[in-house]
Amino acid sequence: MIEMRVFRWKRDQEPRYDHFLLPYGPRTTVLDLLEVIRVDHDPGLVYRHSCHHGACGTCAMRINGVERLACLTCVADLLKEESRVIVEPLNGFPLLGDLVVEMTPFNERLAAVGLPPLRRCELPGEPPEGGAVQLEDCIECGACVSACPVAVTDHHYLGPAALNAIWRAVEEPRGLDVEPLLDMADGEHGCWRCHAVFECSEVCPNQTGPAEAIMRLRQRLFIRRLRQLLRGGDGHGRA
Amino acid sequence: MVGRDPRPRWLQVGRAWLYPRGRRLGGWAFILNRLSGLVLTAYLLLHLTLLSTLAWSPAAYDWFIELMSSRLVLLFDLALAAVLIYHGLNGIRLTLVGLGVGVTRHKEIFWAAMLVGLLLLGYGGYRLWGGM
Amino acid sequence: MKDVPHVIVIGGGGTGVATAYDLALRRLRVTLLERGEITSGATGRHHGLFHSGARYVVKDPASARECIQENRILRRIVPGVIESNGGLFVALTDEDMEYLPRFLAGCESCGIPARQIPPQQALRWEPNLNPAIKAAVEVPDGSFDGWRLAASFLASAQRLGADVRRFHEVVGFRRTNGTVTGVRVQDHLGERRYELGADLVINAAGPWAGRVGRVAGVDVPLTPSPGVLVAVEGRLTTRVINHLATPGDGDILVPLRQLSVIGTTSWYTDDPDHLEVPEEHVELLLRKGAEMVPLLKSAPFKAAWSAARPLLSAEAAAEGGREVSRTFRVFDHAAREGVEGLVSVVGGKAITLRLMAEVTVDVVCSKLGLDLPCRTAETPLLPSYAFRG
Repeated sequence: MIEMRVFRWKRDQEPRYDHFLLPYGPRTTVLDLLEVIRVDHDPGLVYRHSCHHGACGTCAMRINGVERLACLTCVADLLKEESRVIVEPLNGFPLLGDLVVEMTPFNERLAAVGLPPLRRCELPGEPPEGGAVQLEDCIECGACVSACPVAVTDHHYLGPAALNAIWRAVEEPRGLDVEPLLDMADGEHGCWRCHAVFECSEVCPNQTGPAEAIMRLRQRLFIRRLRQLLRGGDGHGRA
Repeated sequence: MVGRDPRPRWLQVGRAWLYPRGRRLGGWAFILNRLSGLVLTAYLLLHLTLLSTLAWSPAAYDWFIELMSSRLVLLFDLALAAVLIYHGLNGIRLTLVGLGVGVTRHKEIFWAAMLVGLLLLGYGGYRLWGGM
Repeated sequence: MKDVPHVIVIGGGGTGVATAYDLALRRLRVTLLERGEITSGATGRHHGLFHSGARYVVKDPASARECIQENRILRRIVPGVIESNGGLFVALTDEDMEYLPRFLAGCESCGIPARQIPPQQALRWEPNLNPAIKAAVEVPDGSFDGWRLAASFLASAQRLGADVRRFHEVVGFRRTNGTVTGVRVQDHLGERRYELGADLVINAAGPWAGRVGRVAGVDVPLTPSPGVLVAVEGRLTTRVINHLATPGDGDILVPLRQLSVIGTTSWYTDDPDHLEVPEEHVELLLRKGAEMVPLLKSAPFKAAWSAARPLLSAEAAAEGGREVSRTFRVFDHAAREGVEGLVSVVGGKAITLRLMAEVTVDVVCSKLGLDLPCRTAETPLLPSYAFRG
C-alpha cells in the first residue's frame, strides 16, 4: 500500500491535500493511481491525461516536487527514494482545478513561434521518397516552464519551450522566416532572461535540451549583434 | 475556462528560487549563486560601514584593525573568501555557458571551477594562517 | 432572426470532437461536454496507426475502403499530426505466403496502393527487421498523434464558436414527455450542478456510450473491448510494420517520434473504468513483435496500458440500415425506442472520426429539418496549439 497526497482545489474553495492509501503493483504508475482515486473514491478529482505512454505530454505534474509525466512515473521506483507520493500541479500556470492547469498562455507562445510540427530526421535505414519525417520531440508538456525559476516569477518570459522552438526553427526553418523569431528571442522577454539553472533540460521527458537551445540562441544573437556593431547596420544583423 | 491560482505567489516564487528538493547540479549552483550574491552584498555594506570608522579618529581605526586581526575574524575572512571565490568562479562558468561555450558540459565546468576554487581557497588559508 | 438550434455533444474523444467541429462548421450552436481531458477515454490511448486500411482488405473490405478514403482526407486537412513514412506488411511463415495473393488482390479491389518489394529491399529500408522475412508489401500507412489530432479539431471548433467544456460530466437527462430536452451536468472544476437545454443531444461517449444510454433510458448496443499496448524506448523502424496475416494479436508495430508501440490484444468487458493490464499480454506482445523486429526484446520498456475499443455489438453490426458503414452506426433513438431528441454514435476506428461526424451530423440535420452540406473534407484544420484550455 502506498500513501498518496494529492493537491485539491476547486473554484471558491481553499486549497488542501487529500490523503489516500492505495494498493499498487510492480508496473503501477502515478496516473494509474489517480484513475483509481477518481473511479473508486472521488469522481470529482480532475487531472489531464490522454495517451498513457509519454507521447502526448498532457499528464505533466509535480510528483514529489519534481516535474514528471504521471503516466511514466512508476510508483515502485519512487518508493526507492521516498516513503510516499505527493502529487501537485505544475507551477507557473493558471490553475483550473486540482491538478489541471490552463495551457492557453503556454500554447499562445508556441503559436507565436509557429514552428511547423514535422521535422526531417535521420531514421534507421533508407527513408521513403521525399525524406522521412517525424513529429518534433517537444510534446509541449510544460514541465520545463514549471521547473524554471524565471518562468514562474515572470509570466511574460517566453520560457524554455518557446525558446527551444525558436532554436529548432533556426536549425531547421521549414519555410519559416527566422529573423523575426531571432528578434523575439533577442527581446526583453527572450533568451537573455535565462539564469542558466538547467532544470528545464533536466525535467524534459524527451531530452529536447531547452537550456542548451537558449545558450545557442544567445551565441547566435551575440554574434549577430557584434556583426551589426562592426558593420554599422540596423539592429537586426542586416547591413 | 479561465484559470487563476490560489497558491500564494510569494510561495511559488520562493520555492522556485530557493527550494532545493529534487534539484540537480544546475539548480544547486543557481541557488548557491543567489545566496552568495546576497551574502556578498550584505558584506559589502558592512565593509563600507566599518571602513567609515577611519573618518572618526586614528584611535577608532587602530581599534578596528586590532579587531580585524583576531583569529575569529580571520576565519570569517576565509569563509567570506570561499563565498567570493564560489560566486566569481560560478559566474565565469555562467558567462561561458551563457554565450554558448561548453553548454553540454556545464556540469564538468562547474566541478573544474570548484577544484580551482578549492586550490585558491587552500592557498588563501595557508597565507592567512601564516600571518597569525 | 431564426433561432439557431443548439446541439449538445456528450464525449470529447475523437468522435465527439469531430462531431462538434462538423456541427460548428455547419453553423449550429454546439456545446461539447467531456468528463475529463479530451481524448482521455480511449482515443488518446490508441495505437497511433494512421491506417491505410490494408489490414482489413481480406476480412472487412468495407472498413478498408473507409480507412483509405479517410486516410487521404486527413492528410489534406490536418497533415501536421501525421508522420507519413509509409508502412510494410511482412510475411514470416509459409502460411503468411499463402495469405499474400489474397492480400494483394484485396488491396487492389479496395483501392489501396500496395506494392510488393523484394525482402532485400525491405531490409535496406528497415535494417532492424527480422532478416528471415519471406516477403514484404509497401502500403501508405503512417503514425499520428491522437491527442493533437483531436486538439486540432477542437481548436477549429472553438474558433467557429463551439463551447468546449472539459471536466463537465453529464450525470442525467432532462426529459419532457419522453423527449430529451437537455442534460444535467456536474461541473468538476467548481463542484456545482447545472442543467443545459438543447434541441438535440448526441451521445458520442465511446466505450461509455452504453452507460450514458442507460442513464437516458435507451439501449445502445455497444461492447467495450479493451486491448493492451506496449511502448518501448527508441524508434526501431522508420515505417509502420505489420504482420502479413489475418489480423491477430501483437501484429502491428507503430513508431512515433523516438519510441515504438507494439499492439494489440483484445477481450470484452462491461466496465471500461476498470481496465487490467495482464502481464501475459505484455509478454505476448513483446514476443510477437520481436518476430518482426528482434530488437524489440532488448529495447528499454517505456509503458504498458489498456484502452477500450467501443465495438458495435454483433447483432447491431449485422442489422441493415441507412447508415453507411458496418464499422460504426448512428442510432436515432426516436426510430429505435420512440425517444426523440437523442442520437448515439457507436463504433468506428480512430482514423474514421471525421466520417463518423459527417454521418452523425447528417442525421442530426435531417432530424432538425435543415439542409446543410458537410464541408469538413475540404476545410483545413487549425494547429493543435490553437486549442484554448
